[in-house]
Amino acid sequence: METLIHNLKLSWHSIQRAPLPYALTLLILSLGLGTFFSNATLYYWMNRDPIPEKSQTLFMARLNSLPGDCTDCFEPPRVISYMDVQKMSGSGITSAEAAMFSSNAYAKTLENQQATPSQVELRVTQRDFFKLFNVPFLQGETWPDNKARMEVVISKNTAIKFFSRTDVVGQDMLLDDKLYKVIGVLDDWSMLPRLYDVNGRRSAEPAEDIYIPLETAYDLAIQSNTQNSFTDVDWDGNMATYPQMARTNFANMLQFWVQLDSPEKVQQYQQFLKNLVQDEKAAGRHPRPEGNKLDNILDIQKAMRATNDQLDAFALVASLFLLVCVVNASHLSLNRYMANQYEFSLRRALGASRWQLQSQIMADVLLSSVLAFAAALVFAQLGLWTINSLLPGTRALASWDWQMLGVMALFVVLVSYLVTLYPALKTSFSPLNQQLKQ
Amino acid sequence: MIKINNLSKIFRTDLIETHALRQINLQVNEGEFAALTGPSGSGKSTLLNVLGTLESFDQGDYLLDGRSVKGLSDRELSALRNEKIGFIFQGFNLIKDFSLFDNIELPLRYRGFSSTERKRRVEQALETVGLAARRDYHPSQLSGGQQQRVAIARAIAGEPRILLADEPTGNLDSLMARQVMELLEKINQQGCTILMVTHDPDQARRANRHIQIVDGQLNDSSMYEPLAAGA
Repeated sequence: METLIHNLKLSWHSIQRAPLPYALTLLILSLGLGTFFSNATLYYWMNRDPIPEKSQTLFMARLNSLPGDCTDCFEPPRVISYMDVQKMSGSGITSAEAAMFSSNAYAKTLENQQATPSQVELRVTQRDFFKLFNVPFLQGETWPDNKARMEVVISKNTAIKFFSRTDVVGQDMLLDDKLYKVIGVLDDWSMLPRLYDVNGRRSAEPAEDIYIPLETAYDLAIQSNTQNSFTDVDWDGNMATYPQMARTNFANMLQFWVQLDSPEKVQQYQQFLKNLVQDEKAAGRHPRPEGNKLDNILDIQKAMRATNDQLDAFALVASLFLLVCVVNASHLSLNRYMANQYEFSLRRALGASRWQLQSQIMADVLLSSVLAFAAALVFAQLGLWTINSLLPGTRALASWDWQMLGVMALFVVLVSYLVTLYPALKTSFSPLNQQLKQ
Repeated sequence: MIKINNLSKIFRTDLIETHALRQINLQVNEGEFAALTGPSGSGKSTLLNVLGTLESFDQGDYLLDGRSVKGLSDRELSALRNEKIGFIFQGFNLIKDFSLFDNIELPLRYRGFSSTERKRRVEQALETVGLAARRDYHPSQLSGGQQQRVAIARAIAGEPRILLADEPTGNLDSLMARQVMELLEKINQQGCTILMVTHDPDQARRANRHIQIVDGQLNDSSMYEPLAAGA
């Protein structure tokens, strides 16, 4: 420890001797690292398993049930109809299942009716949603069944925003001037990436504010704000007939998620869908070829062709930029070390082995790493802010957890060592006598 | 103490080879104070660097304190330099950001001494060179002569078997040069072998042995009668 402190002191002296070149080296290095970290942060969040404890059991099911004879249409639509969901539900094979879509509304409380309503994000879904994705409740609980009811579950932030407290079960809320009762308040919860909502490319956004029952939404003609696909729909546009029309036509806007707890259950459910299609075809429906899909949650981005090409491009540019910065910082570092060559030679003459010089250089690396890490985090935050501005859909992905910070710190040490490696070797192996002869 | 047999050193570039040392044989015994003189470019500094293991050699053999330095690893050579050799340079070679204490302590750190032992040795060395009261000064606060005394303190703090001094008074005026020479003589009287490169015949006369080098070859003689200490 004493040697480390001594070496750190020497490193600090070395910086003080030529602070500007050192600051420039640090600036270039941390700029490259910061840019890289911005993209690495997005990549980490976009590609992580958001629910590792059960991701292997979560699947999105789709049927290729659209009308119209199309013999080479094997790919089912991204969203399915209410009719499909009814047929795919209640198999007895799943341990949880929920259909869903996203929407939005304007909300306010009864106590504050004069206030301008605030826009809120809605998740229209069924009671098993919370079980499927392990969503924790702070107060209350989910709906007792999937029937229509004017009851909502709200997020903790929504409770605080509208009621300034969290114990609001039993309170009333107005959503688009319809009165709902709060039956549950969620605890802090986020799922990143939000893979249950890859459809509409909204998986990078924060979780919704308010959850309302699917049947209620159909009754009130609440529609999806991401994807509606109406095929061969016979409807005059009269909102009074919307609930009936949406339930009995190919008014596709639903995703249907199921939990299948074992490979056998997966196989059984696939067979169930297969049988379902055969029955449909026998009944003169399902004109298209069988194209059932049961995509695991971790494969869903690929299945929905929702990978982000812009992020890929950013990542490539950031990696190349880091490389350029490392080369430049290494060059500047070499100049700095060569300017201190005399001191290294003196140390060697006084009996320091190359290994002992390396421990001094490691102290340099450690000090540089600490400073570069701090500066890189600042640049990374700026980078994330910029990316979030350019790609608003990534705004939920701008935070770091301790694990990420740990990996980033190790990466900084590694890159700092790379920057120092060549100058250090060159300094350690140069002739001693020339530097000491003045 | 030092024994070299048929030692040669050649500097090579793409175009030419320069024979800096040619088939040199030399023995320096324990307790000697030898002066090495010669014209510029004659090879005296090269010889000193080879003896100090700062420079390798091409042919021959070099035994320091009975041990051949040929084929030693970097770690072994470093330990040899640290434990058995003390260097005194013409330009002092002190680290300007360090206090006198830190400068003298540096080689003792590489040797792995405890902080208590380092402190004892540094204070003793500072006492020997008469700068004990200035242990926290920085080199820039001292005169040239004082700086060279600090360099001498650094060289002797590790209690080396031999001191290699490369024109130790070259940058000093005559008064300071005399003080430094007196100090070296005092150290030699305490039993430390000294090999000193110098241009100055008067300085060389103060040594008890005079070695001349011309064109990389030695002419070992005692052309000057050793002067009494303090003369």
